[in-house]
Amino acid sequence: MLILRVLNRGEMHGWGIADRIEYLSKKVFTVGEGSLYPALYRLQGQGWIESEWGISDNNRKAKFYRLTKAGKKQLEIETETWDRLALAIGDIIRST
Amino acid sequence: MQFFRKLSTLWRKNELDADMAEELRLHLEQRTRENIAAGMNPDEAQYAAQRQFGNLAAIQEQAREVRGWVWLEQSGKNLYFAARSLAKSPAFTVTALATLALCLGANLAIFAVVDAVLLRPLPFPEARELVTMFNTYPKAGVLNDGSSLTNYYERRGNVAAFSSLSIYREGTVIVGATGATDRQTAMQVSPEFFSTLGVKLARGRAFTEEETTYQAGGVVIVSDGYWRQRLHADPEVLGQEVRVDGLPQKVVGVLPSGFRFLSSEAQLYFPLRSGPQQRAASERHSGGGAIKMIARLGPGISIAEAQSQIDAHNAAMSVGDPEAKAMAEAGFRTPVLSLQAAQVASVRPLLLLVQSGAFFLLLIGLVNLVNLLLVRASTRAKECAVRQALGASRRHVVGEVLAETTLLAVVGGLGGLALGAGGTGFVAAVCGDQLPLGVHLSFDWRLALVAFGGAVALGAITAVPIAWFNLRAHLANALQSESRGSTAGRAAQRLRHGFVVGQIALAFVLLAGAGLLGTSLRQVMAISPGFSSGQILSGQISLPYKTYGSDRARLAFTERLIGEVGHEPGVVAAGVSTNVPFSGNGGKSSVTVVGYIRPPDESLRANYTFGVDGDYFAALGLPLVEGRFLSAADSRRTERVCVIDEAFARYYWKQGGAIGHRLYQGSQAGNESEAFTIVGVVGVAKQEDLADREALGTVYLPFGYRSDESIYVVVRSNVPSQSLGHVLQSTVRKIDPELPVNDLRSMETRIADSLVARRSPALLAVIFGGFALLLTVIGTYGVLSHAVAQRRHEIGVRMALGAQPGQIGRQFLRLGLRLLAAGMLLGLLGAWLAGNAMQSLLFGVPALHWPTLVSVCVVLIVISLGACLIPARRATKVDPMVALRSE
Repeated sequence: MLILRVLNRGEMHGWGIADRIEYLSKKVFTVGEGSLYPALYRLQGQGWIESEWGISDNNRKAKFYRLTKAGKKQLEIETETWDRLALAIGDIIRST
Repeated sequence: MQFFRKLSTLWRKNELDADMAEELRLHLEQRTRENIAAGMNPDEAQYAAQRQFGNLAAIQEQAREVRGWVWLEQSGKNLYFAARSLAKSPAFTVTALATLALCLGANLAIFAVVDAVLLRPLPFPEARELVTMFNTYPKAGVLNDGSSLTNYYERRGNVAAFSSLSIYREGTVIVGATGATDRQTAMQVSPEFFSTLGVKLARGRAFTEEETTYQAGGVVIVSDGYWRQRLHADPEVLGQEVRVDGLPQKVVGVLPSGFRFLSSEAQLYFPLRSGPQQRAASERHSGGGAIKMIARLGPGISIAEAQSQIDAHNAAMSVGDPEAKAMAEAGFRTPVLSLQAAQVASVRPLLLLVQSGAFFLLLIGLVNLVNLLLVRASTRAKECAVRQALGASRRHVVGEVLAETTLLAVVGGLGGLALGAGGTGFVAAVCGDQLPLGVHLSFDWRLALVAFGGAVALGAITAVPIAWFNLRAHLANALQSESRGSTAGRAAQRLRHGFVVGQIALAFVLLAGAGLLGTSLRQVMAISPGFSSGQILSGQISLPYKTYGSDRARLAFTERLIGEVGHEPGVVAAGVSTNVPFSGNGGKSSVTVVGYIRPPDESLRANYTFGVDGDYFAALGLPLVEGRFLSAADSRRTERVCVIDEAFARYYWKQGGAIGHRLYQGSQAGNESEAFTIVGVVGVAKQEDLADREALGTVYLPFGYRSDESIYVVVRSNVPSQSLGHVLQSTVRKIDPELPVNDLRSMETRIADSLVARRSPALLAVIFGGFALLLTVIGTYGVLSHAVAQRRHEIGVRMALGAQPGQIGRQFLRLGLRLLAAGMLLGLLGAWLAGNAMQSLLFGVPALHWPTLVSVCVVLIVISLGACLIPARRATKVDPMVALRSE
């Protein structure tokens, strides 16, 4: 879901995504960067993102990923689910 | 869309791999550059980047798995390696493949027969609606008397359960112009015969009602084959004439191609003609077994319903019938059976027996295979343990095992398919014509599919114990030398020993079955037929109505025939009879003995009645017990005489003195002048089967007083009977050029042919038993030699400590004998059960036939001892120094 969120802002290459997640989560998530790639491939296999080779800012070859229409929809669904979940848990925790 | 994308990754594998490698490399490069920019030196920068990234190889592996199809690649690799490792141990591979192919092939061939005969429905539309019925008089000793014409005319249309009813009679006719005649099988049928079967004629029409009278002109319906071969497939065939039995018959119809009624070879069909007297109520129970009835059940009617309706109909018909009481006492009934069931009833137990035997063989072969595989797995246990320690997953191990067993099973299965196809062809060639329903054995794709699926399933099933073994291989122990104490070793050993015991038991049962069948066969063959059967030639002649319409004409023919044949060189005696023993026909009738009062609870008794001429008794070699034989002169005498056999005499006159008594043909006394006086008593001849227990009794009348259109010539010679065949044929043709002699066989051949139904299964059982023995030997030898190899270290230690080689050898021998004993005990139980199941096929052999069982035990012990001796000897030859040092 996080990858989808990151890509929502626009297309990005692999290490850019890793940087972004690290930054947005304020360093809470620092997983091994390599584990990003299996996730990327899985999302691609499910048709929510697509990729193509391009040139990065510093003139290096890189593979760029971006959301598909289906991916956008998936992001909405997952975000809504997450919000509902967070709300419910929040209610329970604060109720007592 | 998803699926296609996934599918496309299959063949773009290399491209995608390169792509991914490139992408990851670029990522690492980027991080490295960032690290250098942050101030690290190049080596550190790279190292830090890699650490941050994670395990590159694992990531790639994961990514590939996400892509999917990994299992396919993996299976492909597994298969390749399995093939290579199998190729490296040719002895094992060849044994395993041969075992599989043989067992599978045998099962397939036999299943083809079972399928064709028992499982496939009759080739008529809605075949399960077809039934047959016949009159039975069990208490009189007549089990199947067919149906009578009266039955047909009375039941037709009056029994609501049947939408259609029909009768037929098989016979032979002589077709063709004078001098160029040949015999054809033909059938006489009632008009709705074909419509009852649901068969539409290809050309023309079925018979009409008036064509069933004697007055109507001759008509015939021909088969498609006959039309093509003899009538040149003439499209204008309707209306053409065919000369049959000397009379012209008009062709009124042609049957569709492929039509065959059950196992009949008939090519020509005639209307079943009869006169009003034959259809009268008095002839209701005079079917004689020649006429058979079939019917089609109405839609939704069950056989039980039809049965009750027929019973009610019979009851209604018996009101006012003078014979009814006698028939009821004889146990008269008309059972209704499914046509298919009735046809296969005699072969069914036999086929099932043979199929079970083949199945047993398959089981033994499978057990052998698993055992061999287990032995193989245990020799590679260490390697497997090491690989699991290094991280091979469970799935991986199972996948490997599955690949090997499936490969073996599939290749073996293909071999089995080939053998099965060949075997089916072989069976069809050898005994295709003896199978009921005239089935054509063919190895069709359905069978092949079943076989292939079975082979694959087999591969999967045999993988289970092997995979279990490999996974359980206790790592620590397996990594050290193979020790007897390891749990996996123990459990596997028990499994292997259990399998060997099972094999021995199964082989025991198969061999015992073969022994029982063989003993049964021998016992039957040892029964005397009642006459001396050597050097007798017999043949059948059909006398057509046209030239031999009267008793006198027939008598003249037989007298002339006997006269001519009697003068041929080498002929000792010649005679004629309306039937001979083991001819395959067995019509029974009843006679009334003058002065014999039937006890009230005893039913009418049927017996055989034959008309004889010439020196029949001498030709057949029947012994004379009292009085005299019939002679040729008796046929011409006004005084009526007859001869009976001992069984008949014993039944009616227990104290003896049968000679001088009189009897009448038929179930009622008649005119005084029609009575026959008994002038002689002869020995009892077995009429239908050597294993006949009931002797119904036979009455021999002079041919002049009991002639028939079908006669048998019997010639005893002092030269080999075959050489007289030509002579007989030419003699008959000299008298009447239109008459061929059919069914020319020596009496010994007739008797041998009657034993075929006993001989074939015995033969098959012996073959199966032999294979089972071979497989058991291989299995026992394999297990024992592996045990020896496994315990070399232990043997070395014991020998070093002072054990004698003999002791070591004896220990292994004892192991083998223990397995043998357990197997034989189980086998004994199994043999007893099998013997009970087979009772209907055995003759004079009880389920626990000690001589057979003992000899099977002896054979098994001797063979197994041999198989045990070699490994045991090898155990004694172990050099302790070598064994101790090696692992």
